[in-house]
Amino acid sequence: MAKPTEASPTRMELMNLRRRLSLAQRGRDLLEEKMDALVVEFFDIARSVVRARAEGLKRLAEARALLFVCLGQKGTVETLQSARETEKDFEVEVSSRLVMGMEVPQVTVVAGERPVSERGYGLYTTGAVTDAAAEKFREALCLLCELAGLESSLRIVAAELERTKRRVNALQHVIIPDIRTRIKTIEMRLDEIERDNFVRLKGMKTLRERRK
Amino acid sequence: MKDVFEFELERLNLHLPRKRISLAEALRMDRPHVVTRSGKVHVFDRRELEELAGMLGEDEREGLMLPILIEMDPMLGRGAARISGRLEAKVVGKILNRRGDELIIYRPEITELRRRLPTTTCYAFVGGAR
Repeated sequence: MAKPTEASPTRMELMNLRRRLSLAQRGRDLLEEKMDALVVEFFDIARSVVRARAEGLKRLAEARALLFVCLGQKGTVETLQSARETEKDFEVEVSSRLVMGMEVPQVTVVAGERPVSERGYGLYTTGAVTDAAAEKFREALCLLCELAGLESSLRIVAAELERTKRRVNALQHVIIPDIRTRIKTIEMRLDEIERDNFVRLKGMKTLRERRK
Repeated sequence: MKDVFEFELERLNLHLPRKRISLAEALRMDRPHVVTRSGKVHVFDRRELEELAGMLGEDEREGLMLPILIEMDPMLGRGAARISGRLEAKVVGKILNRRGDELIIYRPEITELRRRLPTTTCYAFVGGAR
C-alpha cells in the first residue's frame, strides 16, 4: 500500500489533487489502450516469426538433403571446390518500418534468383542436384534474413510492451491510490475544520443568548 | 511525477503524421510516405495502396486520407476503436464486412484490419475518459 505524502489541508490543494487524479486516470486508460495495441502487434509479429522459422527450417532440411545427395553423386572434394568457386554476392537491404512509433528493422533480400551460368561454379564437376541444392540454400537464406528482421522487431515491441506495462502498473497501484488517499485525508481534515467551526459558532450563539 | 504523465501522454501520439496525404497523392509518389510528428519517415506499402485504390472510384481516391486512423478512445471502452470519415469507413467496412459513415470496431476486427493494412493504418490515442 502506498504511503501518502503529507499535503496541506486546503481547498486549493484538494482541487489540485482532484485534477491530478483525473490526469492520472486518463493516462492509465490511454496507456492501457496502448498496451492492448502493442499486444495485437506483438502477437501478429510472433505469428510471422513462427511461420518464417518453420518455413526456413523446412527449406534448410531440404537443402541439406540435396547437399548429401550431391556429395554422394559428385564427391566431397568436387562439391567443396564448387562451393569455393561460387560467387557470394548475396545482397540484403536493411530498412526500417514504424510499428506504433517504434522503428523496427525490415530486412529485404535485394539480389534475385541467379541463373546457373552466373553462380560461378564450373558446370563440368556439378550437376542438376548441385543446382537444386544451391537454389534451396538461397531460398533458406532469404527466409533466415526475413526471420532475423522479424525477431528483432519482436524484441523491440516486447521491450516497449514491458515498459508500458510498468507505467500502467505504477499508475494503477501506486500513484492513483496515493492521490486518492491524500484526497481522502484532506476531505476528512476539511470536514473536521467545518465541524469545529460549527461547534464554535453554536457556542458563540449560546453565549450571546445567555448575555441577553 | 505530473511531468512524467504529461510526457507519456504526449509521447503516445508521436507516431502520427504531421500531415496526412490522400491516396491519389500517395499513388503518384515514387516512395509513398508521410513524416511523423517525431520526424521519422513512415513508408506505405504500394500493394496496400493498390488494394485500397481497387476499393474506391477514381474520384474518391483524392478524398481518402492516409494513414487511416484507428482512434482508440477510452470513452468507447477498452479494446474498442473508432474509424472516422466516410471514405475511411467505407474501405474499412469493405475489409470487415461492415457498413456506416463512422465505424466502431473491436479488438478482433482491429487485429484483422492491421493484418490487412499494416502500413496504411495507424493507431491514434484520443482524449481521455474523465
